[in-house]
Amino acid sequence: MNKTVLLVDDDLFQLKLYEKLLTNHGYHCRIALSVDEAEVILREYDIPDLIISDYEMPDRNGFEFRKKLLKNDLLKNVPFLFLTSVNDEHFIQQGLDLKAIDYMAKDVPPTRILSKINNLMLAVREHYERSLSEVKGIAERLNLRNIPKKAPSLKNFSINYYNKSYQEQPGGDFIDFIKIDDRHTFVILGDVMGKKWGAWFFSFSFLSYVRSAIRLCVFDGNYELPTILHKLNRVVYADEFLSDIFSTLSIVLIDDENCSICYAGAGDLPLLKYEKNRNDLISYQSDGILLGFSEEAVYNEIPLDLQEEEELFLITDGIIDFEIDGVKKSDMKLLSRKLHELKERNEMTENIVNNLFNKHTSQIDDCSIIIIKRKNNEAK
Amino acid sequence: MIAVSSSSKEKTMKLSKQTINDVLVIVIENKEANLSKSEQFKELIFQDIEDGAQQLVISFQHVEYLDSSFLGALVAILKKLLPLKGKLVLTQLNKDILNLFALTRLDKIFNIESTLETSLQKF
Repeated sequence: MNKTVLLVDDDLFQLKLYEKLLTNHGYHCRIALSVDEAEVILREYDIPDLIISDYEMPDRNGFEFRKKLLKNDLLKNVPFLFLTSVNDEHFIQQGLDLKAIDYMAKDVPPTRILSKINNLMLAVREHYERSLSEVKGIAERLNLRNIPKKAPSLKNFSINYYNKSYQEQPGGDFIDFIKIDDRHTFVILGDVMGKKWGAWFFSFSFLSYVRSAIRLCVFDGNYELPTILHKLNRVVYADEFLSDIFSTLSIVLIDDENCSICYAGAGDLPLLKYEKNRNDLISYQSDGILLGFSEEAVYNEIPLDLQEEEELFLITDGIIDFEIDGVKKSDMKLLSRKLHELKERNEMTENIVNNLFNKHTSQIDDCSIIIIKRKNNEAK
Repeated sequence: MIAVSSSSKEKTMKLSKQTINDVLVIVIENKEANLSKSEQFKELIFQDIEDGAQQLVISFQHVEYLDSSFLGALVAILKKLLPLKGKLVLTQLNKDILNLFALTRLDKIFNIESTLETSLQKF
């Protein structure tokens, strides 16, 4: 993804020069002729990856701009470079005191300016990756995992699952498989509303509740999905810590002895089933609402008949969000169409996933898919 | 009719507000209602509720895309209003956003109207 740079300078010629230099080398630029214009851009667009500002400008100068940014929690940590023709020790010191990462004199050759910016972005990236890797390491040691390492192996069904994080940060999607015995296995797919770390953190609370609700019901010999969801919803609703955090949930119970499958959901996207004989993709929508919204929510259970070689697809919303030509949209029909085409071409599961998680389609959230396939008797 | 217009100067979330017959009409001015704005949006509306606004209309006429973080913020606002016997109507949602509400059954819990006029008739 291209890094975005906000360039602020009252000299339009200079601005265009830098814009061309940076755009030609893979950066996306926004330009502002004054601090006022820069503030409008910062309000209206996503936060840039870097701000480069001139010092000497009419009305408000670069120092005033920088001082104001430092008071804004959302913007104070965006790397900031001063650009100037003023080149004395006093100026440099004042800029650095304002936590500007560096300054650049305007008479420096463009190639050197570009190298400086590239190095700076690399350093920021490396610093971020080091921090991320430390947190991931801690989570791993604490066995905090919202996506399991592997799916259980069953006699009559195969389970494949894929999760792709957004911008390499953990997200709110969570997956779990709870194999009760040789007969019963629960398949769980949830999505905590939100993105990145916040959603990731809360996903563990939801996962714990899901596991507990299932275990407690099963201890009482109860495998009814509406009962499990009802209990789960009540406990989530009662948890003040989660009072304004919501999650979707798809839950599938596989009976590996009778080869039967039941599904229930809470605010989740429809489950898709590929019917081989009809060569059709059928959508099943549960009627449950989001976990935690209402104490007395009602959930239904949908029995599904899965014949040999047929597949079920459980998905989270990241997989239906697309960014095409800079326009973002959620499009379930587009996903269904793509999936149907892939099934018509008889693509292998792996190819289906590779295609759906296409690197050429801009991803804007974490994405998950679970594919449950009834095995072919002869192949077993 | 009392008309109050406010637009937050220092924040990425841009809202304009107007009070019509005791109903606070909030228009989201951003094209994208996403993660970077959802928390801020929720806090701003929570503040309005705490200041006494309990009859709300939120207009999405300028919003082209809405993500799950923002959906979560809307659900949180509705959940806060319900015990106060307040009311929230969402209006002018585009086709994709309406679809998303239907796909996730949020259309069952929200009052959704196609125009501002019909929204105000709900109070």
